[in-house]
Amino acid sequence: MSDVTKLVAEQRTQFGKGAARKIRRDHKIPAVMYGHGTAPVHIALPGHETMLALKHTNALLTLVIDGEEHLALAKDVQRDPIKPVIEHVDLVVVRKGEKVTVEVSVHLEGDAAPETVVTTVMGTVELEVEATDIPENVTHSIEGAQVGTQVLASDLQLPAGATLVTDPEALVVNVTQQVTAEELEADLEEAEGEAGIEREESGEEAAAGAATDGEGAAEAKDSDQS
Amino acid sequence: MLIPRRVKHRKQHHPGRSGMAKGGTTIAFGDYGIQALEPAYVTNRQIESARIAMTRYIKRGGKVWINIYPDRPLTKKPAETRMGSGKGSPEWWIANVKPGRVMFELSGVPEDVAREALRLAMHKLPMKCRFVRREGGDF
Repeated sequence: MSDVTKLVAEQRTQFGKGAARKIRRDHKIPAVMYGHGTAPVHIALPGHETMLALKHTNALLTLVIDGEEHLALAKDVQRDPIKPVIEHVDLVVVRKGEKVTVEVSVHLEGDAAPETVVTTVMGTVELEVEATDIPENVTHSIEGAQVGTQVLASDLQLPAGATLVTDPEALVVNVTQQVTAEELEADLEEAEGEAGIEREESGEEAAAGAATDGEGAAEAKDSDQS
Repeated sequence: MLIPRRVKHRKQHHPGRSGMAKGGTTIAFGDYGIQALEPAYVTNRQIESARIAMTRYIKRGGKVWINIYPDRPLTKKPAETRMGSGKGSPEWWIANVKPGRVMFELSGVPEDVAREALRLAMHKLPMKCRFVRREGGDF
């Protein structure tokens, strides 16, 4: 990863929700940048470019403030829960070659054995990596994984130069047995009975039921003849 | 069905319906989810009905999470009763859902199956909803 995006930011002089709303009306995003013992710098970022840059997690940005360049990592992004709008961004100042602790998502590859359910217990793991070389994700293969397979954080193949911060014994992926068709049907029928839900059989199910009835009737007829 | 084992007050005021969800607005456990776009009271029957609809569709593969809990009682006075004489008796258990809340999550199935399962579940719910995916993950 680590394609550094360059953004031209303006320093903010007015604060509070009124000023922040005015900035958002101008299609900009209020942000704050801090770290390394420096005083917090309040800035306004260009809306569209920032939104594109923050589509990746752990985005590394080069901010140009008053002609001076700063390298910063997006630490916290506040988004509107409904609208695709970024409300505020927290940026932490980093230096080239510096190690940072970031959360990286776990990506699973391959298909587990049949009749299994793969559950990702921990979707992200914490890694200590160089700020300029943050991986997009950590990939792990679950090809042919059998029931009872447990992938711990220590089992993950980390990218070169990355150190695991998460507890190595933490469970990341769990492979369990699928419930049987009978168990599932019994559970759903009980739940439907309790909730008073009456189910109409779909055409497919009705046809399947009729086919089994037909077979049963044919067997009965054969046994009568014999 | 989901019902609290014990509550401090049997008859409560109606929960407030204004505002947006303060938390639970992103997918926490699964890969796909249903997000509320409007405020609504979701009853325990609706939650159960939605769960059954999606479980019947995904059959044996996959796992379902329910992120809301019907912990608020709503009361109702009997029909053709004069006003007064105290508050009615508890009739429903509801979850007070605000816009933005991810109510159900699903994992372990391909996206097309998840979309259809969650679409069927959305029909059982009393508000506009949308399908959402995990952020920054595999997608």
